[in-house]
Amino acid sequence: MIDIRNVTKIFKTKSSDIQAVDDVSMNVTQGEIFGVIGYSGAGKSTLIRLLNGLELPSSGDVVIGEDVISKMSKPDLRKKRQKVSMIFQHFNLLWSRTVAENISFPLEIAGVPKKERQKRVQELVELVGLTGREDNYPSQLSGGQKQRVGIARALSNEPKVLLCDEATSALDPETTDEVLDLLVKIRDEMNLTIVLITHEMHVIRKICDRGAVMENGRIVETGPVLKLFQNPEHSVTKRFVKDDINDEETALSFDEVRELFPTSQILKFGFVGSQSKAPIVSQVVKKYDLDLNILSGNIKRTNNESYGHLYVAIDVDDDTLERLKTELSDHDVTVEVEDK
Amino acid sequence: MNEMIKELTTMFSFENVKWDAVWEATYETLYMTVVATAFTFIFGIILGIILFLASKSEVKASKPVYGVTAFLVNLFRAIPFIILIILLIPFTKVLMGTIMGPNGAIPALIIGSAPFYARLVEIGLKEIDKGVIEAAESMGAGTWTIIWKVLLPESMPALISGITVTAIMLVGSTAIAGVIGAGGLGNLAYMVGFTRNQSDVTLVATIVILIIVFIIQIAGDFFSKAVDKR
Repeated sequence: MIDIRNVTKIFKTKSSDIQAVDDVSMNVTQGEIFGVIGYSGAGKSTLIRLLNGLELPSSGDVVIGEDVISKMSKPDLRKKRQKVSMIFQHFNLLWSRTVAENISFPLEIAGVPKKERQKRVQELVELVGLTGREDNYPSQLSGGQKQRVGIARALSNEPKVLLCDEATSALDPETTDEVLDLLVKIRDEMNLTIVLITHEMHVIRKICDRGAVMENGRIVETGPVLKLFQNPEHSVTKRFVKDDINDEETALSFDEVRELFPTSQILKFGFVGSQSKAPIVSQVVKKYDLDLNILSGNIKRTNNESYGHLYVAIDVDDDTLERLKTELSDHDVTVEVEDK
Repeated sequence: MNEMIKELTTMFSFENVKWDAVWEATYETLYMTVVATAFTFIFGIILGIILFLASKSEVKASKPVYGVTAFLVNLFRAIPFIILIILLIPFTKVLMGTIMGPNGAIPALIIGSAPFYARLVEIGLKEIDKGVIEAAESMGAGTWTIIWKVLLPESMPALISGITVTAIMLVGSTAIAGVIGAGGLGNLAYMVGFTRNQSDVTLVATIVILIIVFIIQIAGDFFSKAVDKR
């Protein structure tokens, strides 16, 4: 659906050239929610603006569907943008228009007759759960409601692709979850392809199918979300994952744990997917008649699978440990021995 | 001392005031103000939008367009109004067929105030959230749509408060134009009040002008507030 081929974007300024996007290639399939994560200045805002032609690449091609965005004429590009819509961090609603009028705006641009506009607006208001708020002005709405208007507005011309520019970054955690749920819902109902950029790893974890990690204009790692979380390779990815899981607290308390259990090994079990719901550890522990102390544990849900880890202190000889490892890895549970 | 009391007595006696002449002059002042304000509104917005769109980092960024427009705006804003009227006499003669009376003053009034209002429009447009313009572009809006549906409505409070200030300035300018034959309350105050030494007429002209200015200000504040939904 979306194909980015060796795209580079250089901003020329008086003093120097800034390479915002550096030889990026990626593709997004139809119906997918694809997340791009990076710290500020990583180039993700520029990248997402290349997708609807708000920025044009210095080299390389951006292809959406059949169209090469970077080579379209201006009128064609404007037409295309009706099918590749966008929502924003600060919502960017027109304060001079009511909720209904804001949602109607893209339809006016597309030249839809008034009767049809009204009908469509009413459907969208219901879809995003703002019934009764049609005649309010944006200033009378909360942040979450404003973003719902933004989403309804973006959907009014029945786009194929929805671009989300830090769409939840200005919202509180609870509202963020509501908006994310809404995005999944509209993806399912309207068969949308969604590309989102964010600096919040839990956004990627909650709704994305695949993700890419950006640093200094480059994509440093890309893959299915579960893989990114379970087995991050690049240091930036590891940092994002760590921030999301909050691993540091665990690491800090290891020293105390060692004092409490001087003879024990500290093991980290890693679970993925359906395995994380089955009582495997418990079964294995019973089988080998072991005693273990649970130090900390964690399960996180991604959009379709859960993954987690468990730290335990366990008195075990090396031989049993090896057998334990084999047995558990047969059940797709990874075992890491924490260094003493 | 006696001199002053005598003067004040004349001023408040209203014995020299010909009310039909006051009405006539009021009508002329209102006519000049309304017509000039209307055209200033249109030309000022056009110029202001050109200045805004052509300025750096905007939709239609263009150094030459901005340069020429900004130069003309600055030029006509720099010329004192009384000199501008005289300079424009040949132009006015061709355009209006006369250089006397209210119609003779209107071209100079518009050319004098449109550049001023254009700058106010430009300031108002710069206040618009860049994200909203970007959002409109992301929906496929062209430049005209952005002007009509984003720039003008989103800056309307500033456009209205700007035209209020400009209209009040125009009332003052009509009075200056009155002195050199444009009619109106300025003409009345000067030709009758000053040259015939009838200060009660001057006072009446002043009061009527003040009333006009107050009404413009109150109406401007009201409308500016009414369209502001922020």
